[in-house]
Amino acid sequence: MFRPLKSRSLAWLALAPALFAAACSGAESPASSADQPATHGVLNIYSARHYDSDKALYDAFEAETGIKVRAREAGAAQLLETMKAEGDASPADVILASDAGTLWRFQDAGLTQPVQSDALEAAIPARLRDPDGNWFGLAKRFRTIVYDINAVEPGEVDEFVDLATARFEGEICVRSSSNIYNLSLLSELIERNGEEAAADWAGAIVDNFARDPAGGDTEQIRAVAAGACTVAIANHYYWVRLASSGAQADRETASTTALSFASAGNGAHVNVTAGAVAANSPNRENAVAFLEFLASPVGQAMLVTETKEYPVTAGVPLPEGLMELPADLSESDLPLDVLGRNQITAQQIYDRAGWP
Amino acid sequence: MAIDIVTVVPRSLALPAWTAQLPLALITLVLATPVLAAALSGLLAGGGETWQHILATDLWSTTLTTILMLALTGALILAIAIPAAWLVTMYSFPGRAIFEWLLILPLAAPGYVLAISYYDLMSVSGPLQSAIRKATDWGARDYWFPDITSLPGLCFVLAVALYPYVYLTARAAFTTTSICAIDAARTLGARPVSVLWRVAIPSARPAIVAGLTLALMEAAADYGAAGFLGVRTLTVGLFRAWSSYGDAAAAARMALILLALAIGLQWLERLQRGEAGVQATSKRWQALERPRLAGASGWLAAGFCGLVFALGFGLPVLRLGWIALETGDHGANFGGALVTSLLLASAGAGVSFLIGITIALYARRGWLARLAKLAASGGYAVPGAVLALGGLVALSQMGLNMAGGLALLILIWIYAARFTAAGAQPMEAALARAPRSMGDAARALGTPPLQRIWRIDLPIAFSGALVAALILFVEILKELPATLMLRPANWDTLAVRAYAYASDERLAAAALPCLLITAAGLVPVILLSWRLSRARPGS
Repeated sequence: MFRPLKSRSLAWLALAPALFAAACSGAESPASSADQPATHGVLNIYSARHYDSDKALYDAFEAETGIKVRAREAGAAQLLETMKAEGDASPADVILASDAGTLWRFQDAGLTQPVQSDALEAAIPARLRDPDGNWFGLAKRFRTIVYDINAVEPGEVDEFVDLATARFEGEICVRSSSNIYNLSLLSELIERNGEEAAADWAGAIVDNFARDPAGGDTEQIRAVAAGACTVAIANHYYWVRLASSGAQADRETASTTALSFASAGNGAHVNVTAGAVAANSPNRENAVAFLEFLASPVGQAMLVTETKEYPVTAGVPLPEGLMELPADLSESDLPLDVLGRNQITAQQIYDRAGWP
Repeated sequence: MAIDIVTVVPRSLALPAWTAQLPLALITLVLATPVLAAALSGLLAGGGETWQHILATDLWSTTLTTILMLALTGALILAIAIPAAWLVTMYSFPGRAIFEWLLILPLAAPGYVLAISYYDLMSVSGPLQSAIRKATDWGARDYWFPDITSLPGLCFVLAVALYPYVYLTARAAFTTTSICAIDAARTLGARPVSVLWRVAIPSARPAIVAGLTLALMEAAADYGAAGFLGVRTLTVGLFRAWSSYGDAAAAARMALILLALAIGLQWLERLQRGEAGVQATSKRWQALERPRLAGASGWLAAGFCGLVFALGFGLPVLRLGWIALETGDHGANFGGALVTSLLLASAGAGVSFLIGITIALYARRGWLARLAKLAASGGYAVPGAVLALGGLVALSQMGLNMAGGLALLILIWIYAARFTAAGAQPMEAALARAPRSMGDAARALGTPPLQRIWRIDLPIAFSGALVAALILFVEILKELPATLMLRPANWDTLAVRAYAYASDERLAAAALPCLLITAAGLVPVILLSWRLSRARPGS
């Protein structure tokens, strides 16, 4: 027969929530100062980038300004929800993301604020930043075509529409469509050629798949070198990292493949790592100072050391292993907020095209 | 006469019956809030354009893929875990004592890490296929090779990552199966396989199914492995709705289907457990005598255990270590991340354990206990990021902002909401196997409830509780999405570091934090294994 528990067991069981609280507050103490809204000399960075070199960058900024940096890294979509939940009390000062479309989303959700800075405007080309100063592009990345040098002529892959032809039937390796770089690429095609043409392009690429998408960009490049396909779509720095890797097999992978900036049509597809000042930034001046630091020669050089992106300002030495951009390279002049505006349409088109 | 003794406790000291349910009600509330908040936001706000699009394109195919994935993964897990647990518990063969704990090790390796490692091993540019091409002069497209980036591939990876749940619960159950039943079967001339089929498995069934339910809920919520291997499960679709479409509410609505799956699994588990036929009937315990498997059969047993260990741990972990050495890409110093990981895992496991044991002790006592268990299961089947989102929604409804130390409290809360099921399940399964007559006897003798818990329930639940504590600790050690979302600034865990490298496609640098997670998980695994082999009552 069921009998209810008696009072003493009740007391014992009631301990559980109390211990819950104790455990929480106990674990909290080491970081009790980590997150509090700061009054002076502090900068809270919400970053969707994940690089060890960013820590060195923060340290350098601390050393130069005396401003204490606290960073919180997470996926962009999750950071956005976190910031919404924090509302007015959000400690975020600066938002960093590796994609302009992402920053546009934060802007669209009212989580950024316009910044007017002569230093930033002088250093960063106008097309790489928001006209109102809601975000600033800080480093460039190119979506490129990596091809098998023994099977493909450079002239056959000098723009992305080339890949949609019968020439490459069963020859394309590419990652999943929900990857932000693929979304940005299609967003540009939508803007330039319209939704219908973009859908045709996506469908033709799917028809030309050598295999179903899986893995990251690096895996697609390796697949080209191994002979599973002759062309892959990948960001430039993944190829650069293979070329300068400590592993022999990686360097061989790079040496049997080459990289096309696919710039023949409307110029190479550019995206940026970008920064913004948060709408409710408690330390606005520090936030602006940090963005200006990132746009300074020292900041620019540090920002790209590990990532092998290209600096946005002129005259900054390139990181080790990164080749100079071709002198005659034409870059797309598309305003980058388009990448964010068209992102949903791009995913819908991919879904309908059956691009996993 | 017994009735007189029961009334020894004066009525005046006993609180009204409903107050005994208060802790349980509180726990249910704590556990259910994030799930319910996420579900509500999904229901109320998740029906927009994104949802319509998902509904029109791939909702049904992703749901079907998920169900197929669960079925195949479940079958594989059973095929791996039950023979392994049976062999190491009942027989003596070369290496048995080592395999006993080696077989738990895959528990320490996160599924997404195994997926990355296997992808690298099996891909067209990986060592296996490269070797084949070198040896044969074939081109990459001239031969067939098993594709790890497929539904069966994903099921294989998840099965070798998750089988320890069943291995652990089954082993605990086999270890404590009454020797009488087994001896009787043997004396009656039952062949070993039929002892397993007709005596041991039926008796261990609640424990086995409990472990399997956990493993499958874990598989349903997996994003890392499925996402990397390119298999479109519900959870992968959910994250696409969130990141590509920026529609967190639509993602929460997709989580409702995962919730339904969890409730379904829970219902199946209850259905099979029933009320009778699973309790030990004899109180005669004696040291287990393990017949020696001689000659070929002994080596066959060792070979099977060795293969399982190699697939679940040895091979993928060695591959990671190899890559790290080959490229010399080590990443940064992980001392701080290790400390943070241990702190969070201890705090989270402690809280979840207390809640879990409370639920387990109440388990057979009424609808509220079932509700608490359901709340815990719901949390376990939903990806951590969705629970975290639910926590944030609940918080903003309460008018609170997630800033300062509150973030940490919420993280522990979400850990509890997510993982308590993993703790309650093994303990409850252990309790369920005890003869109810014991508790009835104690009650008849007028033992106060607290003493009854201390002297009867807890010792019975001991082996289950050990398993629970271990699973909780290791789970939270591996946890990624909620930690990523909610941890305070500068609180990086090993899993967060590993994710950072892996998402940047630096597999070699990701290897080291992965190996550290594994190492940190090893200590309790070994302790547990040592205790577990001594947990046989009466021996």
